[in-house]
Amino acid sequence: MPQGTERGTGRQKSAEGGKGWRRALRRMFGMPDYDAYLEHCRTAGHPPRLSEREYVAEFFETKGKGVRCC
Amino acid sequence: MKRLASVFLWGGVSALGAAAFGVLALSRGETVNAAWLLTAAVCTYALGYRFYSRFLATRAFGLDDRRATPAERYNNGRDFVPTNKWVLYGHHFAAIAGAGPLVGPVLAAQFGFLPGTLWLVIGVVLAGAVQDFTILFCSLRRNGKSLGQMAKEEVNPAAGATAMLAVLFIMIILLAVLALIVVNALKASPWGLFTIACTIPIALLMGWWMKRWRPGKVGEASAAGAVLLLGALVAGGWVAGQPHLAPLFTHSATALTWMMAAYGFIASVLPVWMLLCPRDYLSTFLKITTILVLAVAILVILPPLRMPALTPFATLGEGPVFAGKLFPFAFITIACGAISGFHSLVASGTTPKMIARESDARFIGYGGMLMESFVGVMAMIAACTLDPGVFFAMNTTPAALAQASQTLGAAGFVVSPETMQGLAARMGEATLVARSGGAPSLAVGMAQIFAGATGVFGGSGKTLDALWYHFAIMFEALFILTTIDTGTRVGRFMLQEIVGHVWPRFGETSWYPSVIASSAVIVAGWGYFLYQGVSDPLGGINSLWPLFGISNQLLAAVALCVGTTILIKMGRARFAWVTAAPLAWLVTVTMTAGWQKVFSVDPRLGFLAHAASLAGSTNPDAGRLIFNDRLNTFMALLFMAVVTVLIVTSLREWWLVVSRRKAAVVHEAPFVETGYATGD
Repeated sequence: MPQGTERGTGRQKSAEGGKGWRRALRRMFGMPDYDAYLEHCRTAGHPPRLSEREYVAEFFETKGKGVRCC
Repeated sequence: MKRLASVFLWGGVSALGAAAFGVLALSRGETVNAAWLLTAAVCTYALGYRFYSRFLATRAFGLDDRRATPAERYNNGRDFVPTNKWVLYGHHFAAIAGAGPLVGPVLAAQFGFLPGTLWLVIGVVLAGAVQDFTILFCSLRRNGKSLGQMAKEEVNPAAGATAMLAVLFIMIILLAVLALIVVNALKASPWGLFTIACTIPIALLMGWWMKRWRPGKVGEASAAGAVLLLGALVAGGWVAGQPHLAPLFTHSATALTWMMAAYGFIASVLPVWMLLCPRDYLSTFLKITTILVLAVAILVILPPLRMPALTPFATLGEGPVFAGKLFPFAFITIACGAISGFHSLVASGTTPKMIARESDARFIGYGGMLMESFVGVMAMIAACTLDPGVFFAMNTTPAALAQASQTLGAAGFVVSPETMQGLAARMGEATLVARSGGAPSLAVGMAQIFAGATGVFGGSGKTLDALWYHFAIMFEALFILTTIDTGTRVGRFMLQEIVGHVWPRFGETSWYPSVIASSAVIVAGWGYFLYQGVSDPLGGINSLWPLFGISNQLLAAVALCVGTTILIKMGRARFAWVTAAPLAWLVTVTMTAGWQKVFSVDPRLGFLAHAASLAGSTNPDAGRLIFNDRLNTFMALLFMAVVTVLIVTSLREWWLVVSRRKAAVVHEAPFVETGYATGD
């Protein structure tokens, strides 16, 4: 296997790993994740209903209805 | 071979835990190291998680990974999202852990370190974690329905309405008592107030950043906010030293009460992205980081506990921090950390909508609560590392201190004015006497632990002590204010919903007259109790914290009633004791505490006795204080009546189902097989 491809695969894996970590942290801290929403729409087979701004606005609105414990 | 290794491993954990408990229980007078307390707690959690939660998951609830969860069935990429269990654990923990597990154990330290620790460790394994896990499981099987909806459907509509009313009143008491903690921590503290005041423009900047400038970039905005916050913390020390600036940030408790009420109102009516969300992110980051750092610092220095295992106040009931004997008051003073009804709102809120597999509910629901209990144990350690004389001087008003001076002197819990003055100077404060509420004494304990840990790496000095103290105050105040923001808003939504049944227009959450009126009512509700607390000669915590504890534990009773009803209806009545036993304990504790708070003949304990002691008094505030006592009596009786109604309706429902006079109809979502691979 050519070295370039190997390096490319490594980079790709590391980029995917980084993306995974970012996504995990976003979800853990309850942050909006528009990329995940787009991915969901792709998987579900429909175009995104919301633009990024609309998605963020709706996300914050929902978050404002959540309860924080004592 | 594997089985033998497991027997040895768990046998060893049991023996180690028992030995640690033995050291704690048998200590009489000598100093005990915090390591024993940590060992006892961790071993108990490990055993509870490994054996009891497994029993609950497999036998009592019958979790089934073949069943698709609401997150899978309703996946919309926003609120219903299948989430990795570790990620969701962090998310759930951030939502359940607030000021409660930090403040309750500090206040309960007046009984000594042992009663509170035992309740934290044993209570969580047998009650608190069971409640969270049960409600999470029930909501998971009902498409993520809320506690109120489940009470309405599974018990009866009256129970649902009762639960909703209970939550509204509990919210008001909760917000008042949390605000009181912040007020007591920030009064006459220019450093503390400046730092906290700075969080408002910082949050507004963050809100603009992540909504308008770079939509959704919460990480960037939060990083900038955290840097600015640390800058504000350092600048606070400078401001406090400036003769022209310090008075601008030096205010009485009454003035701070008005500021808090104004802040709560504004936060409730402003768009959520502007103040509430950014503050929530900031406080979540700070909370998780600080708790991790505190855990590491305690492990590094393993401080000795200077508070004895038991103090005379455990049996005498004349504690200067709050009145009442160990039973029942230790069990309502520590709610969060052992069992907290409020968690049932989170466990039937966002978390069930994000669980990918049913079996994850065990780790998230049961395991998440164990972690909160561990936070409570760390708070207990921080409080008990203080000299007992300092602890009581900080948490007691001069009036209560004078009443308890004989007992304190006999127990050797004395401290000189010079020591207190020296401590205040080291922490960068004018005084630390009568800073009741738990937050300042926790901050001193944390500052000493942090300073001890940084001392290991070569850092030390007065400036560092003061910086750590104000960092701890900022950490506590920040997430208490977040709870006040969200609590006022949630209370507003609830009020709008209730009034909306008779006046539909009022129920529109975006109609501004309704937003303003309902926010004002909620703020006036908790603001009045806050004012009552700051103007109470006994410091407010004496009457408000027990009221909060009773109300929170009664909400737990509501949750356990719902859980027991569902187990019985599922045909698992033989396992109903898992929720019925903690329910029976909670009802006993809270009813006893409620009864004593209302009818005790001791004026420091009983509201009515206190009112009677003021009748005919020349005190110009007597009329107001008598009214407050009667109001507190009404609230306590209301909470007790609410839970009585719920218990009676639940018992009736259980009897009808068990005796087959009524068909057991569960409102569970139908079984849909998961599309994910199971067993991996």
